[in-house]
Amino acid sequence: MKTALPIPSDVPVIIAGGGPVGMSVAALLAHHGVPCRVLEADASWCEGSRAICLSRRSLEILGWVGADRPLAAKGLSWVGGRSYFRGTEVLHFEMPSEPTERFAPMINIQQYYIEQQAHAAAVRAGKVDVRWSTRVGAVWPHASGVDLEAHTADGRSHRLHTDWLIACDGGRSTVREQLGLQLEGTQYEGRYVIVDIEQATRRTVERLAWFDPPSNPGSTILMHRQPDNVWRIDYQVADHEDPAEAVRPENVLPRVQAHLDMIGETAPWKPLWISIYNAKCLTLKSYRNGRVLFAGDAAHLVPIFGVRGLNSGIDDAGNLAWKLALVQQGRAADSLLDTYSSERVLATRENIAYGAKSTEFMAPPHRGFALMREAALRLALAAPRVGALINPRQTTPVEYVDSPLNEPDEGRGFSGGARAGVPAPEAQLHTAQGPGHLTALFGSNFVGLYFSDDPHRPVAFRRAAAMRRSGAAGIRLVRVAAQGPPDADTVVDDSGQAWRRYDAAERTLYLIRPDGYVMGRWRGPASVSVDLDGVLARALKESA
Amino acid sequence: MTSAEIEVIYTTLAQCIARVGEPKVPLLLATLALDLLSDQPDAGAALARISQAERLAGL
Repeated sequence: MKTALPIPSDVPVIIAGGGPVGMSVAALLAHHGVPCRVLEADASWCEGSRAICLSRRSLEILGWVGADRPLAAKGLSWVGGRSYFRGTEVLHFEMPSEPTERFAPMINIQQYYIEQQAHAAAVRAGKVDVRWSTRVGAVWPHASGVDLEAHTADGRSHRLHTDWLIACDGGRSTVREQLGLQLEGTQYEGRYVIVDIEQATRRTVERLAWFDPPSNPGSTILMHRQPDNVWRIDYQVADHEDPAEAVRPENVLPRVQAHLDMIGETAPWKPLWISIYNAKCLTLKSYRNGRVLFAGDAAHLVPIFGVRGLNSGIDDAGNLAWKLALVQQGRAADSLLDTYSSERVLATRENIAYGAKSTEFMAPPHRGFALMREAALRLALAAPRVGALINPRQTTPVEYVDSPLNEPDEGRGFSGGARAGVPAPEAQLHTAQGPGHLTALFGSNFVGLYFSDDPHRPVAFRRAAAMRRSGAAGIRLVRVAAQGPPDADTVVDDSGQAWRRYDAAERTLYLIRPDGYVMGRWRGPASVSVDLDGVLARALKESA
Repeated sequence: MTSAEIEVIYTTLAQCIARVGEPKVPLLLATLALDLLSDQPDAGAALARISQAERLAGL
């Protein structure tokens, strides 16, 4: 066994947990110039596929640190799915997508690839020290930082100090337990066995669901294709089945074989990973506890149906990193971190509301839901309007309603587009580097989008350019022209997508946060002279 | 009716079924069905719904 190197106690941020969320936070913090150290109990990336669906929004966030391309290249993209009752199709859904988009609405990819790419991005960014086989023990939070104990594989303990501790240590978070904090909410009884198998297939990549299939009467089965000829199969086990028995290969493999036979997948196959799952809708009340911040499963557990677990964790990372960077660098008051908590707790509440609805359908918690599901599946054969009940309600980005960071939207003259608190819409554009996408501008700092065909820079831009702002507190000013040539500060929207989606008229200004959310917008004469510096100073509560 | 409204109906009825308890469920659903069927434009439409439900329940 290697002797662990001593762990220096000199980083401003320690991240407990090097899973996909911890590694993403580390890479994003480093991108914003904040050194951090990741303590991961396991020796390397996870085993088993675990989370497999990565949303468009997650790819955008991972794109801020360059992890999007390898994941999109390796992953299998999909746009919809089919549900069957017995042998008959009762729902075919498609998520919004178009040929010009930057990413598909969803890709399937094993979690270890996500961890690997987030880790690679963290290493590329520099400033990140990843300590494998290092487990967090006792945690002592205090007003000016956090002391903690780390146990290394050689059996030694190390006392560390950090200004900020981010708990990304999963559903059974040690940090959460150390602080005596409890998750609150509902757990559902219905269990699903999760099996990954290796089998070659030529089937279309889509989400497949069978209710009461002839292969496994009474059960519900989900299937997703993954890269490397891997199938994810989830099936519901009966309430009376013992969970420990349910995951034994002799109980799992015949059910899988029966279903593969039924759908005509005849290539040889072998099991790779078996696990069991029950739906949980649990959250901490706050994701900030002084100098300790919670993200991902350590903060909240949501049902798998709708793929909101990993994806909401990566959204946590995207929301937290720029805020913590600004606070740590003295560019914002630490109250900015309270908006991390309030915005992401709101997101969890929405994820839980959708997740609970999906769970009530996929694993009916009582006789009422079980009977209604029987009725809905049958009625879907005759009345397509009830098909929406079968729809898995896939994850979509959450609107931060009433966030204190939102600039007032009333009276600004917009009738559509994206108000403050919603994710800035995507659009295909021409940039100086060639065809590109609007969301690729986000992730490093604030962005001012000025919709105008007049190449003269407005007063607001000239003033903002004179501001001495840097890092994530900086503003990049970009003109979105309807026509003409692109240049370093001008993108061209010749398809009209951006102008339409932002409800833009000549002289419209949008201020976008570093995490790609709209913070404020102005139209007409008001847009020309907005005091962007003042807007940011107020939002960040900068000291003079 | 929107999909969201159909979801509200679905959830409310599921919880109502759980509340009244198993012995009363047929009576609850028969009362509801008779109310809705008597609201149809004519008997033909109502009878078609009854035979559809009978067919689907037989699956």
